Amino acid sequence: MDSRIGNLYPSSKFTFIILIILLSMFVPGFIFQYMIFLFIFLISLFSGTAIKFLATFMKSIPILIIFIFIFQVFLIVNEDSQQIWAFIHFSQIGLMTSLTMTSKIVAISSSIIWFFQVTRVKDIVYALEQSGVSQKVTFVIASTIQLIPQMLNLSRTIADAQKSRGIETEGNLFVRAKAFIPMIGPLVLSSIQQIEERVLALESRAFSSKAKKTSIYELKKQKFDYIIMIFCILVLIVYIVWRIKL
Amino acid sequence: MSIISLKNINYTYPLEEKQTIHSFSLDLEKGCVYGLTGANESGKTTICNIIRGFIPELYKGELTGEVMIKGKNINDYNIGDLATIIGYSFQNPFTQLSGVKDTVYEEIAYGMENIGVSRDKMIQKVNEILKMFQLEDLIDKNPFELSGGQKQRVAIASVVALDPEIIILDEPTSQLDPKSTEDIFEIIQLLKKQGKTILLVEHKVDLLAAYCDEILLISCGELVMQGPVKEILSDPKVVEYGGQLPQVALYFIKKAEANGSSASQVPLTVQEVYDHLNKDGEA
Repeated sequence: MDSRIGNLYPSSKFTFIILIILLSMFVPGFIFQYMIFLFIFLISLFSGTAIKFLATFMKSIPILIIFIFIFQVFLIVNEDSQQIWAFIHFSQIGLMTSLTMTSKIVAISSSIIWFFQVTRVKDIVYALEQSGVSQKVTFVIASTIQLIPQMLNLSRTIADAQKSRGIETEGNLFVRAKAFIPMIGPLVLSSIQQIEERVLALESRAFSSKAKKTSIYELKKQKFDYIIMIFCILVLIVYIVWRIKL
Repeated sequence: MSIISLKNINYTYPLEEKQTIHSFSLDLEKGCVYGLTGANESGKTTICNIIRGFIPELYKGELTGEVMIKGKNINDYNIGDLATIIGYSFQNPFTQLSGVKDTVYEEIAYGMENIGVSRDKMIQKVNEILKMFQLEDLIDKNPFELSGGQKQRVAIASVVALDPEIIILDEPTSQLDPKSTEDIFEIIQLLKKQGKTILLVEHKVDLLAAYCDEILLISCGELVMQGPVKEILSDPKVVEYGGQLPQVALYFIKKAEANGSSASQVPLTVQEVYDHLNKDGEA
């Protein structure tokens, strides 16, 4: 995140991914969209997040893509479907549909993954606050992201406590599912209890003060931020004009 | 004029039939350290919440009586703005963090951000507080990744950063090791020197004896004893009310009882025992 790209103002990066999302949705075909993936990978190389980007992408998106391919190409019956075996067919139309559909998913998801990997939460929160978003909204965003690891720690502690009392928490899916149920109660109850204490802690820091909020953290837009934003807007305008003329 | 004044406070939590606090009256003077002690569930935290205005604002329930802060009724204050007058730090260091800041530096500044302190002043104040609480080495650390003692120090530092005149510390050392406990008490000493009024809820009477000006003993929601440390912590009645006496004092109290003399002059701290024994040696 400390790269030149990581230090850009969040709204510059956000404008860029909005451009990518719009182009991915409106450019016909699928080659452009798959090229976007390569382009984003290239940018992630420059951002110093390439490995993390690939790891996150590979963990989530391919499963979805394979699923869509199987359904569209082999299971959904189209005009040109040819039976292979029982309910399994092959369809050229299905193949094209899945390519178009998955290419958009790949382009959009890769740009979103890249955005969150090169943008600090506090940068997003700062930019939102500066643009006039309520402090309550930014608090919910920031605390949710910060508290997820704490919830995971809490669930681990509860799981260890259950284990020490003889509950099997490791093994096959059924054993794990069985162990998960008695964990939900303590996890939810302690989370609720913690919320009450946290409300008091926040009030002790003048959370509901009527004063105009300030920030010790500062993030300024650089010349390069303006260049990116203007460039993105120009590309979008050129594309719209080009499509209209077509 | 007392900085905090409670007059005939009665309080019952929502959905409870039994009163938690009854006929509680108290006057606290500016610049003093008060040690509030008593058995578990005697109402210590409830009293702190009443003084801070969390009761009835956040806890609801039925509250009667009058709470005056700096001569003004607590109802005339905005609960958020009270943070600049009364700092409140809680027992559990794990839930005292804002949960929205990812460095100790920003965590300490959080309260000041909420009251609109300018960035320059904030930086100056945070640096001052970091030095005071010896947190300079932790400035870039995520508050959630700190040890219990460090979290507690950060939590108190964040409250002190708002520069309140009154500071309530509810069992700040209950989850800390002896070294971290000593550190917290050193900070209390420092805050006292700055003229802060401190209400310290604590079970460690040996430390209360060493650092407080007055002791308040609460039992079953009633203020049963109040007075100078020397007077209260040498009175065996404290034990009857569910409180504790300093370990070093017990021997001298028993000795005084055996001799049939007054226990009011017994030494309460290690230093006082040392002085006392030296005096006896000289005699």
